[in-house]
Amino acid sequence: MLDFKQSYFKLFGLAEEFEIDFTKLGSAFRELQAKYHPDRFINADDNERLAAVQTTGLINEANETLKSSRLRARYLLKLAGVEFDDEIDTTSDGAFLMHQMEMREALEEVSSANDPLARIDDIAQEISGEADALKDDFVEQLEAGNLDAAKEAVLKMKFFERLCQESKSLTEKLEDALF
Amino acid sequence: MALFQITEPGQSSPSEPQEKQLAAGIDLGTTNSLVATVRGDEAETLADEQGDALLPSIVRYLEDGATEVGTSAKNSQLDDIDNTISSAKRLLGRGVGDLKTLGGALPYKFATSDSSVPQIKTIAGNVTAIEVSAEILKTLKWRTEDALGGELKGVVITVPAYFDDAQRQATKDAARLADLNVFRLLNEPTAAAVAYGLDQEEELDEKIIAVYDLGGGTFDISILKLNKGVFEVMATGGDSALGGDDFDHVIAEWILKESNSDLTHHAMSEARRVKEALTSSDEVSVALGDWKSSLSRSQFDEMVEPLVKSTLLACRRALRDADLSKEQVHDVVMVGGSTRMPIVREKVGVFFDKPPLVNIDPDKVVAIGAALQADVLAGNKPDAEMLLLDVIPLSLGLETYGGLVEKVIARNTTIPITRAQEFTTFKDNQTAMTVHILQGERETVEENRSLAKFALKGIPPMVAGAARIKVTFQVDADGLLNVEAEEETTGVKSNIEVKPSYGLSDNEIEGMIRDSMDNAQADMEARRLREQKVEADRTLEALDSAMKSDADKMLNADEMKLLLEAREQLQTIKDSSEDAEEVKTAIKHMEKVAEFYVARRMDDNVKTAMQGQNVSDFADKDNQKR
Repeated sequence: MLDFKQSYFKLFGLAEEFEIDFTKLGSAFRELQAKYHPDRFINADDNERLAAVQTTGLINEANETLKSSRLRARYLLKLAGVEFDDEIDTTSDGAFLMHQMEMREALEEVSSANDPLARIDDIAQEISGEADALKDDFVEQLEAGNLDAAKEAVLKMKFFERLCQESKSLTEKLEDALF
Repeated sequence: MALFQITEPGQSSPSEPQEKQLAAGIDLGTTNSLVATVRGDEAETLADEQGDALLPSIVRYLEDGATEVGTSAKNSQLDDIDNTISSAKRLLGRGVGDLKTLGGALPYKFATSDSSVPQIKTIAGNVTAIEVSAEILKTLKWRTEDALGGELKGVVITVPAYFDDAQRQATKDAARLADLNVFRLLNEPTAAAVAYGLDQEEELDEKIIAVYDLGGGTFDISILKLNKGVFEVMATGGDSALGGDDFDHVIAEWILKESNSDLTHHAMSEARRVKEALTSSDEVSVALGDWKSSLSRSQFDEMVEPLVKSTLLACRRALRDADLSKEQVHDVVMVGGSTRMPIVREKVGVFFDKPPLVNIDPDKVVAIGAALQADVLAGNKPDAEMLLLDVIPLSLGLETYGGLVEKVIARNTTIPITRAQEFTTFKDNQTAMTVHILQGERETVEENRSLAKFALKGIPPMVAGAARIKVTFQVDADGLLNVEAEEETTGVKSNIEVKPSYGLSDNEIEGMIRDSMDNAQADMEARRLREQKVEADRTLEALDSAMKSDADKMLNADEMKLLLEAREQLQTIKDSSEDAEEVKTAIKHMEKVAEFYVARRMDDNVKTAMQGQNVSDFADKDNQKR
């Protein structure tokens, strides 16, 4: 029986830190699935079958959490004792929010640019550069024990996630129109 | 064949290992269904006594409650349209409220009942799509047990990747009615990938497989990752309103335009024939009534290019969802009869820059993959590393304030999955809360599919926002959802197995049933008219073909004139009338006028027969019925 109490990192044999080895995560994930998946318990009794669903449910949830940098960061904070709901909690950094609005506007204006695809590539690059900087900031703050600042970084990551999604779906629309 | 396989009951045949468990994979399709099983090391589809592996997914209900399933039901479809149920899969997991969007294309009658599940009216009483599907499953079950000489231990049944919770639940219910033990519901594209994936022992550590599935009415694309026997679905997508039928429509429209005709029905069947013929010929002759022409492969390719292109757009989207580029795809697997079209194979090959895999029959590949999975699940391959990790095709969420939906589990999340979300009360002293579960990608409640609604009662009075209500979603390996809600400060619990509610109150359902009853009257009228017009077409065709063959030697000028006048009259009424009775009368009139001619031809035929000649071209109208 899998230990439900251990951290998601330990579950996959990973150290509890932000930078992780995705290949290792992938193979540990597959190994656990192969062992606990409900398909391996087709002929078992109801309790064992339910346990298999719950166990693989946890394995999948852990995998989804560690695969996403924002969810992984938030989970590290949870392990450090800082829990929050980022649907409700949000950053109050005025300058940051202003800059987000500017980038959003830039995205909205892409379609009227001379070469929309080139323009959106530029913006996407800017977004991913800033998102990377934010990750570095998170790691730094967490290591220094500045949990509030680390939390602030996670809250900001959510904005970048949305921006990324928007620029992706915009790229998609532009490319599909050209296809 | 089965006669030669006599074994004692319970005794397995000597060539099989003693502990071999009988298992099968079933592809329960909209048009055709198949069953396959692993014998020796190979998975193969099982055929009926006539040697057909494809079982038409058609069930005919007889007066005494007996049923005919498959080809015989299909053959009597035209004569017994009300009792012959086809395409039941389209109704699986659908509510009465969905009939408006589905009903137009389904030729049978619906009954009113208290149930939110549509009831089809037949001579043997009302039946649901679940019961119809169960008849098909039973037939396949018997076919398998006859062939294998024993009782099936379990089956894997495939479902379209886009099937929502209600549709999956309905499929499982059908299996239960057919007394089948379901090891697993498996997504069709995953099954197809298994059929090919296990075939090829390659050195690659990890490979990406794209499954391109173009069926009669739908298109699906799935991207899977295969790593040491583990198939992981990365993304699924497609277009549920695009399929091979749309290719027929394009040709039919061309025929109608070129021939200046409005024989839609005939144009469609001619279109289908032409499309299939163009698979192996570069040019095919086309005819409709007196009009004749031909259609070349390149003309056809040009006509349908937009359709192929929209499937490729869906491929691009799925690749993006999976965060992959098309260069990273190692294999492209073709599924569905429509992938036989050369233009489809060519364009898919160009898009992925590699020839698609077509060596397994695209109609059988899903059943074969399901059989392989069933064999593993039955425990016949203890060393097999194969494991299939499917994803949830549509996001699951909850209704929140203002009719909006908050997603709890996003689409393409690997299943099984358990996830909890916390909510709170928004009014002071609120003691109950409705939990409304939805599935789909849209923002508002109305635009998503309502799966279930239940009330969490007994929340202790608190100020707004103080209660902590945890809603836990659990999706099992079949993609079926179970939801539990709990108020955490007190432990008040509510648990339901999600049964489709379609989100309608009893009153709404009643209203909709009344509407559909009103519509049913109109629908019936329209159908009778359609039927009579088809009948008129048949009569006209029968006359035309008879006159063409022997009018010159059997009729004098006056008789010919008389017949042609009657013909003209029927044609006019058929083209313009909105009244079934009027068309029927016109047919009767035409038949009466032609009586002498029919009698004369019959005499002639009898004479010919007595001379030892062939009578197969006896042109009585009934013999021309298709």
